[in-house]
Amino acid sequence: MATQHSRAAARLMISPAVILLLAWMLIPLGLTIYFSVLRYNLLMPGDNPFVGLENYEFFFTDPAFTGAVWNTVMLVVGVLIITVVGGTMLALLLNQPMFGQGIVRILVIAPFFVMPTVSALVWKNMFMNPVNGLFAHLAKGLGFEAFDFLSTVPLLSIILIVSWQWLPFATLILLTAFQSLDSEQLEAAEMDGATGVARFWYIMLPHLARAITVVILIQTIFLLSIFAEILVTTSGGPGTASTNLTYLIYAQSLLQFDVGLGSAGGVFAIILANIVAIFLMRMIGKNLDL
Amino acid sequence: MRFIKSLAGAAASATLLAAPMTLAETITIATVNNGDMIRMQGLTAEFNALHPDIEVNWVTLEENVLRQRVTTDVATQGGQYDVMTIGTYEVPIWAAQGWLVALDDLPADYDIDDLLPSIRDGLTVDGKLYAAPFYGESSMVMYRTDLFEAAGLEMPAAPSWDFINEAARKLTDKDGEIYGICLRGKAGWGENIAFLTATANSYGARWFDEEWKPQFDSDAWKQTLTMYIDLMQEAGPPGSASNGFNENLALFQTGKCAMWIDATVAASFVTNPKDSQVADKVGFALAPDNGLGKRGNWLWAWSLGIPAGTDSEEAAKKFVAWATSKAYLELVADKEGWANVPPGTRASLYANPEYQKVPFAQMTLDSISSADPKNPTVDPVPYVGVQFVAIPEFQGIATAIGQQFSAALAGQITAEQALQNAQVLAEREMRRAGYPK
Amino acid sequence: MARAITPRQKWTFTLVAWGIGLLIFFPILWTILTSFKTEAQAIADPPVFFAFDWTTENYTTVQERSNYFHHFMNSVIIALGSTLIGLAIAIPAAWSMAFQPARRTKDILMWMLSTKMLPPVGVLVPIYLIFRDVGLLDTRIGLVIVMTLINLPIIIWMLFTYFREIPVDILEAARMDGATLREEIIYILTPMAVPGIASTLLLNVILAWNEAFWTINLTADDAAPLTAFIASYSSPEGLFYAKLSAASTMAIAPILIIGWFSQKQLVRGLTFGAVK
Repeated sequence: MATQHSRAAARLMISPAVILLLAWMLIPLGLTIYFSVLRYNLLMPGDNPFVGLENYEFFFTDPAFTGAVWNTVMLVVGVLIITVVGGTMLALLLNQPMFGQGIVRILVIAPFFVMPTVSALVWKNMFMNPVNGLFAHLAKGLGFEAFDFLSTVPLLSIILIVSWQWLPFATLILLTAFQSLDSEQLEAAEMDGATGVARFWYIMLPHLARAITVVILIQTIFLLSIFAEILVTTSGGPGTASTNLTYLIYAQSLLQFDVGLGSAGGVFAIILANIVAIFLMRMIGKNLDL
Repeated sequence: MRFIKSLAGAAASATLLAAPMTLAETITIATVNNGDMIRMQGLTAEFNALHPDIEVNWVTLEENVLRQRVTTDVATQGGQYDVMTIGTYEVPIWAAQGWLVALDDLPADYDIDDLLPSIRDGLTVDGKLYAAPFYGESSMVMYRTDLFEAAGLEMPAAPSWDFINEAARKLTDKDGEIYGICLRGKAGWGENIAFLTATANSYGARWFDEEWKPQFDSDAWKQTLTMYIDLMQEAGPPGSASNGFNENLALFQTGKCAMWIDATVAASFVTNPKDSQVADKVGFALAPDNGLGKRGNWLWAWSLGIPAGTDSEEAAKKFVAWATSKAYLELVADKEGWANVPPGTRASLYANPEYQKVPFAQMTLDSISSADPKNPTVDPVPYVGVQFVAIPEFQGIATAIGQQFSAALAGQITAEQALQNAQVLAEREMRRAGYPK
Repeated sequence: MARAITPRQKWTFTLVAWGIGLLIFFPILWTILTSFKTEAQAIADPPVFFAFDWTTENYTTVQERSNYFHHFMNSVIIALGSTLIGLAIAIPAAWSMAFQPARRTKDILMWMLSTKMLPPVGVLVPIYLIFRDVGLLDTRIGLVIVMTLINLPIIIWMLFTYFREIPVDILEAARMDGATLREEIIYILTPMAVPGIASTLLLNVILAWNEAFWTINLTADDAAPLTAFIASYSSPEGLFYAKLSAASTMAIAPILIIGWFSQKQLVRGLTFGAVK
């Protein structure tokens, strides 16, 4: 039905957004690619000579590189699993009749509003600190030795903190999905003698597929570049046990001020992000009829 | 109504875009969120009483964030700050790059010759002072006199590492939450590397030999790191791999450490009854040695520098001169008592009979005077600096190595592995930087 | 027809849900409580919950050290400004994608989202240099621009999923009646889209309020929002839990309150078209 005229108008309306995002992508990307072939250290000003792929060589042979890729994946997958599974169960629970449902929902949604820096500072100091933290007090009160979360299981600790922040998001989307579920269908299944598990598996879960897809998509976007939580809690350590790609690039470009090396890492991270984007797009295409 | 006004004001200044405010002179000061600096910020009104035409904006940040922010800004000539709080590591490197304004026209009553020679040396390049010391520090042993007495131990004025090791293990009472010794374990070139490099000096280790070849595969480094890890595992607090200066300060103030080897500036915090539960039970001793002629004490001065290209150079100079003057020391003494003045910068302070009554004054001065940045190690080295190596590459290498040592302390890798990794990392970075030059 | 449920079951659900809800909320509650303690009580073992000497001393100390209102206003301007500008750019784009879908619409949308996956640390130095050259460092305008751009993809996508829900028949009918494109947008589309726009606005205010990388790295003092305010309370010398808690409470309270009041709106917005 669209006329030539309205198609032109549509293009006109979409163009500011496209042009701006294109500029936001291409200008820094261009500069990043350019810097990545220079020897460019902020602390050593000079003529920044062209060095070809030397920065890439150093980036890929960095002892922390493989671990950083692995940690990036673990962080994204770990948080996704916790929030999707936990969110589904929590949504199922919140969907039941109860007293004070509105207040419970307010309590559950709260972590989503907390600044990541604040939440990391609070968890690190007031909960996970092995001497003065609440968990340490609790353990000692029960007669156990205090557990040092951030040095013993740094990545898991960060996954837990980040999951706490994102659980509300997953829960709310899934809860809305549950609420739109056709109750007659469920009742029919119940009459036919389907067990609770069967009802969940064959009726609820397929219905949630779209919602879960959206949760995964949105969270992956944010989780790929998790940074503040790592910087505040472990600074990527001990060793490089909790260094993800973003943090590795940060360490190279802003702790060592090696902009060339950091840029090479940036280019790699951009390529990785695009691979993930393509992968997600496939998935979305299946589950979300855009 | 006030809200509306501020809203309008904010909107108006937002529309002014980036136009520099040239009407009244405004200076922006970037500083660390350490106690002495926060006190300085609190005294801004006193500065304004003398210079009402200068408006002072404060950016107070945690040390690591501050360092990253000011370094990025000065290296790109971003011009966001007019005064930066930097240390003895940055000053010579930045001055050599032409990033700092020379402080060669300080007023006569500033009495530049009063600055302690070792501190002044560290901030001077080609005979010109490039940053004014706000406070200076070395490191020393702080210990609990009550716990030592109860255990029948006596701290010598100049202890050895053997004594420290023995005493720490004896004093540890993990059930009573008393740990024999608290030391830095948090990764960072200003954290665990500062302590370990200074300690390694006393064990006869060094970062590089005269050809700039990294020396982490040496026996002396192995001794240092093994001693440190064993000591911390047997007599240190839990979670020490993430304890830096501030975390240890909190532990010591709450009575959880029998000994703590760290910055001399901490002395005034641990003896201040307002913050410290052990204020009247603290003794001081020189940093330990290992019989090789070098002690494990460092030298550092937080200093105020002015980045080249600031548009308020004169106002910035006035502030720097004020905050590091004799008059400022008197001002703080007047308000908070002599024990709380920023220490370690001026000879006249240590000659002051009032200040000599402060229990840690002499030990601080002795520690500072005994540090020798030009001659830090037992074997000769091509570099300057006690707990750092004054080359631009150091920050990056030391950050990565600090991570390794911290991992070793957390028990994730062995001391040998950490040193091997350190050696590889250092060789890699030095090759990248094109050493030997 | 609701499924039959016994009172006993209802009580069980209530207890379990409240238990979990309080557990999730506890870190925030604990932060707020700690902000009213003295530093010594903040680390007391066994911990004290309510029976301590309530004090507002920490808030006074924090306010003396940093001008909360200045940072708060910056946060408001940056969050609101970037969201409003973002909406102005995104509404036409999302409209045309929803009602004039072309073959490449889906690709464009996914490409937009993928720009959000780029790690900001990788491009900080280029952006810093550009900002320095055009004089945008430490300005609210500069931050509004950056925040607009980084949240634009999310805004577009949220609006797109809303607009798609609007029945096309109405538009067709309007066109038959000779409505111009402008009239179509102003009189038909906007009223139907307002709830969606409102929840998009809310979500993006939250995202921009909490963004802590660009806001800290591109500001010094003039434009520094609450994220930078918090940075000066992270690991200072001595005991700091109570002061940190007070500063944290001050930084998160505004958005927490707005979020709670508007949670119904927000929840609807959060579905991203996942629920039909």
